[in-house]
This record gives sequence, structure tokens and C-alpha cells, in this order.
Amino acid sequence: MPREIAIWGVLVPGLLPVFLGSLLLMVLVDLLIGRYGLHRYVWHPPLFRLALFACLFGAAALLLLH
Amino acid sequence: MPALSMKAARRWPGLAEVLAGEGRAWLFVAKTLLALYLAAWLAMWLRLEQPATAMITVGIVMHPHSGMVLAKSFYRALGTLCGSAFGLALMCVFPQQRELFLLSLSVWVALCAGGATLYRNFMSYGFVLAGYTAAIVALPAINDPLGVFDSALMRVSEVMLGLVVAGVVSDVLFPERLRPLLRQRAREHFAHFIDFVRGSTGGSIPRAEMEQAHLRFVRAAVELENLRASVIFEDPEVRARSTRMRLLNQHNMAAATSFQSLHHTINRLQREGRTAEVDALIALYRPLGAALATAPGDLHEPAVLAPRLRACARQLPAREAELRAGLAPGRAQLAFDTGATLLRRFLDELCAYVEVELALRGRVQRGGVERVHFRRGNDATGAAVAVLRTFLTMTVLSAFWIASGWPFGASAMLLATIFSGLLAAAPNPLTSAFVTLLGFAGGILAALHVAYGLLPGSSGFVMLVAASLPFLAIGPWLNAHAEFGGMGGGFSIGIVYILALKDPMVYDLAHALNDAIAQLAGVALAAASFVFVPRVTGSGWQRRRQVRRLRGQVVLAATAPLQGLPWRFESVSRDLFHQVIVHTRPGSRRSRELLAWALAVQESGRALIELRQQLRASTASPEVRAAVDRAVQAVAQLYHRPDAGRRQQAEDAVRAAIDACAGTPTLRPRLYQLLGALRDDESPLAAWTSAGEPADAP
Repeated sequence: MPREIAIWGVLVPGLLPVFLGSLLLMVLVDLLIGRYGLHRYVWHPPLFRLALFACLFGAAALLLLH
Repeated sequence: MPALSMKAARRWPGLAEVLAGEGRAWLFVAKTLLALYLAAWLAMWLRLEQPATAMITVGIVMHPHSGMVLAKSFYRALGTLCGSAFGLALMCVFPQQRELFLLSLSVWVALCAGGATLYRNFMSYGFVLAGYTAAIVALPAINDPLGVFDSALMRVSEVMLGLVVAGVVSDVLFPERLRPLLRQRAREHFAHFIDFVRGSTGGSIPRAEMEQAHLRFVRAAVELENLRASVIFEDPEVRARSTRMRLLNQHNMAAATSFQSLHHTINRLQREGRTAEVDALIALYRPLGAALATAPGDLHEPAVLAPRLRACARQLPAREAELRAGLAPGRAQLAFDTGATLLRRFLDELCAYVEVELALRGRVQRGGVERVHFRRGNDATGAAVAVLRTFLTMTVLSAFWIASGWPFGASAMLLATIFSGLLAAAPNPLTSAFVTLLGFAGGILAALHVAYGLLPGSSGFVMLVAASLPFLAIGPWLNAHAEFGGMGGGFSIGIVYILALKDPMVYDLAHALNDAIAQLAGVALAAASFVFVPRVTGSGWQRRRQVRRLRGQVVLAATAPLQGLPWRFESVSRDLFHQVIVHTRPGSRRSRELLAWALAVQESGRALIELRQQLRASTASPEVRAAVDRAVQAVAQLYHRPDAGRRQQAEDAVRAAIDACAGTPTLRPRLYQLLGALRDDESPLAAWTSAGEPADAP
């Protein structure tokens, strides 16, 4: 994937679509977690969500842009 | 620490409470300061132009409850995107037409302020921010139209950075969650409702007690909906339960209405002295009380209650037939059928309510449920007044700016924009405007002292924190104490704006003072506009209008398409009622009058909807349909404009319909209930009842 992409002539960092994609993925993961109540196995749910998002975003960015 | 506070609690009972409250306040102050400095540091590290914008965003968004922060942030992000797009578009359309530019900006800001008053949750924040971002994107670029895109990009980045930092800090570090509160309230409400139903199976309930119960249930329904709308941002488990929670609330409202109608019917029969029917209905009702009277530990346990209620519902028809046979045919049986129909409806709704509650308490949510919405009774006139007021403020400022060639007009406009939106949604705008102005002035003084007294002698980020921390802490501390109202918000925005932290720091006292004066003028004008165009909410005019709208719900029940109408009717009528009742003194004549109307609207509206549904499903002849339609329209006319003539017409039409429906047993009880509601001598319609008529002759 290119480092920068042009949207209507505006150069946007390639990380932006990756970030938005990770957000979308996170929403899906949240849906699953909420449906099955998986947060009761986690000590600090918000921290877990933040860390999970960092992992998703980091992995996607490294895989796609590295 | 706990041992210490325990000891303190024993010695001075008030102290432990104060300590707990102060602890929460200081935790909030610490989190806000951390978020403020983190946002400032990141903005400097990322080389953003104005770290102050990110800091102000943090200052506005931070709230003691983390669910609130995320909800606010979500709507704020939406508002920011809309606002920046509009600011950019405005700059492209009118780069050299300052009159048209400022006029369009005023219209936009005014519309956003109006939208903010229309909603009572955090969507209102989205509107405030849509206005504010358009102004911060467009105004600083007014002398440099070519640079507007870069400026917009910078502002949006700064605002978004502030949102992310505030969200992460408040959600990850010692979050104070709303979900336990929501759960506690929901369980309390469930228990109250079940207790109330159980406690009233013995017979009739006085009207005053019914009114108080209605008030309590309406408050709970609206409060639960408000909490739900915020908590879904905090917790994915609540989000997965969201649809079901809405359904629960709707079932509860429907059941409450049926329950009230049933008791009104029994009470009316009792007042007419028809003991045989009353006794039969109470006998029919008694098994419900027995089904709810479980072992003391399971009184509010839906897993125990649900099967018992279902069993009770199954036995109902046989018992009904048995009791009906014991009554004289004709009038007595019709009255009994009316009560029995209501009881059947109530029992069905109660079963559904308890079953949804049971499903919600399960750990895993399975299957989909019907999607229902809690509809709001929004007030367009109140919003229109806010639009007018903000438009006037902005236009006066623009005109003054253009006429005087004031170099700092942009600052005044910007601050007026922020506070027009924030104050429009405040509960008591004139007082809070004054308090906010005081706080803002205090913030400016503190900022001048920090920037020109302390900062010149310091170097590095750590010294900056050391110099400004004690002053920045004042704003959040004021915010954490509700008794100071909007003072904390004014203080925070004032100090951060004038401090204008930058890397490298710019020192220009003359500029800072001019800016401060302009900003004060902007805030003062936004506050003064409330004197010229006062807020309509809570005024007598508004109350009379809202009561008329509440009665209009009956017209809606009589005329609107039936699809989804029961849910809509139950939620809008309650929301409207709740909006009016918060502005009346409990127990006053107005409050009593309003409650009486609310109960009458609830009963008649629901009866009309049931009647229309039955009519649609039945195979009645065209003459019968015409007669029932006439009755429905006559009742709607009566509620639209109540007077003695219309009341009489409505009663005649309903009686005629009852006679016409002699062959259709599904319609008659509903019509009879309607007749009872019209003739009820405790309802507000009784004022127009002509005396000396035959009490009842169907």
C-alpha cells in the first residue's frame, strides 16, 4: 500500500484508511464481546479494549505499509 | 485509609461523606489535568499550530462519568466533522464578501444552537460543536482565504486529538462507570412496579395515589432511556442489550397504562355503587396477586415470576367465563367484560415485561427482538426562539465588527459562538450566564498572572506544568462541585485561551489584553441576549402549549397510521408530560391539573388505539364501522378543544356506537371503557359534564 494516497486531490497519509478500517473491525469485535458477555473474563475492560485496538491497528499497519 | 475513614465516620458522621465526595472531585481534577497536559504535550510534539484548541476540547469534554465522555466525544466528533466542512465551504463561497460570509455564519451557528436545545442528551453537544468548529475554522482565516484549508486541517486535528486524549484518560484510568447506576435504577424500577401491582390486587386505588405512581413511573421511564442512551457508549455489553432494554421500557409503559385503565374502570364502578361487578372483577384479579406473592427472597426474581404469571394467564379465560355467568346479562356483563378485557391485556403485557427482564439478566444475549424506539416530544418553538436569539447575537457582533473595523472582532465572535450554544442548553441560562462570565474573568486574570508572572522565568515542559498546574486545577475543581454551576467551564476556557500555550511561547501583553477584552465582550453579549430574548422553557405560555400538545396525543391516537402507533403514543405522551412536570412545583394546583390530564390522555388514547386495532381486525358491517369511526373522531375533537358541547357530542357518538355494535363482542368493551373515561367524574373532563343525566344506560 502507498504511504500517501490522494482523495480528491488531497494527500492523506496511508495510515488513515488503515485506522478507519481498524475502528470498524473493533466495532465488530465489540459486538461479539457484548453478545457473549466475554468482558467478565477480563480484569479492566477499557484497558483491554484500548490494548486490543492498539494490537489490531499496529498489526494492520505493519502488514499493509511495511 | 478505609480504617481511618471508618473511625472518622463514627466520630463525625458528616465527615466521611464529605471526604468521599472530595475524593471523587480530586480524582476528577487529577484526570482532567493529566488529559490537559497530555493533549498539550502531544499537540506540541506533533507540531500542531495551536495546542490551546486541543486543551479547550479536553476542558469541555471531561466529565466525572466515563460513559458520558465517550458519548460526548462521539457526538462531538460528528459535530466537528460537519462544522469544519461547513466552515470550509463557507470560506470557498464567500472569500471576499464579508457581509454575506458573516450572515451565513450567523445562520449556521444559530441553527446549531437551536438543534442543541432540541435534544436533551449529548446529541446537543454535537450541535454546539458543529457551530463552534465552523467558527474556529473560518474566522481565523478570514484575512487569509488561501490558507483556510491548512487552518481547517490544523483545527480539526487539534480537536480530534483533544477528543482522543480525553476519552482514553477518562475511560482507562480509574473510570467511574454509569453502568452500575443504570443496572441499579432498572432493578429498582422493576421492583417498584411489581410491588405496586402486588400491593393493589386487593381492590381500588385512590386517584391521588395513582397520580403519584404515574409520576414515579414516568420519571423512571424517561430516566432509564436517558441513561441507556449514554451507557451504550461505555460498555459493549450494554450495547448488545440496547434493543432489548428499549423493548423492556416500552412493555413497562404499556403495562402501566393498562394497569391504570383497569383501576380507573374498577374505581368508576365502585363509585357508581355497582358492587356485584366490582366484586367479580376483584375476584378475577386475585390470582394475579397470588402469582406475584412468591417466597420473600424471590419477590423480584423474573425467573420465578415469569412461569407463574404465564400459568395465571392460562387460567384466566376459564375463571372469567365462570364469574361472568354469575352476573345479570346486559349492563353488568358488559361492565365485567370491559374490566376483563383490560385485565387480559395487562396480564399479557406484564408477562412480556417480566420475560424481557429475564432475558436481560442472562449473561448471553440470544436472538433478535422487535426494534422499538422511545420517541421524544420535541418542541420546535423553543428551538426556534434559541435560533432567533443566537442569530441576533451573532448579527449584532458582526455588524459592530464591520462598522468599527475592530481587529479582535474574530475573538469576540468565536467566544459568543461557544457560549450561545452551551448556555442555550443550560437549565437556568440567565444565572449560569452570569456565573460563567465571572468564571471567565477569573480565568483571564489567572492566565495573565501565569503567562506574564511565572512562565518567563521557567524553561521546559516540566517547569510549564509546575507553573500552571495550581491555576489550571481550579477549573475542574469548580466543575466537580455542582453548586458553582457554569463557573468551572468559564474558568477553564478563559485560562486556556489567554494562556495560549505554544512551542515556542509567544509573549505579547498588548495582544493578550486586547484579546481578553474582546473575548469578555463576546461572552457578555451571549449572556445579555438572554435578557432580550428570554428562554421559553418553563414559562406559563410554554406550559399551556405543552399541555395542549399532550391532549393532542389523543388526536394522534385517533388519526395516525396504526403501524407502530402504540409504542409511539406511550413514549411521546410520557416524554411530553415529563418535560412539563419538571417545571411545576410538586403538589401545586398546576401540577395536579397536569397529572389529571396526563392520566386522562393515557387512558383515552390507549383505548382509542385498541379500538381502532380491533376494528381493523374485525368483520363488522360498514354501518358499524361508520358508527365507531364517528365515535373515535368525536373523542379526538373533544381532546383537541374540550368544551361541554363537544363532550356531549362525544358521549352521544360513543353511546350510538355501543348500540350499533350489539353483535360484535370484541368492540363493545373498548367502547364502554371509552364511555366510562368520558363520564369519569374524577377526570378533568368532568368540569364539562352536565349534571342530572342518567348515570349509565347503554
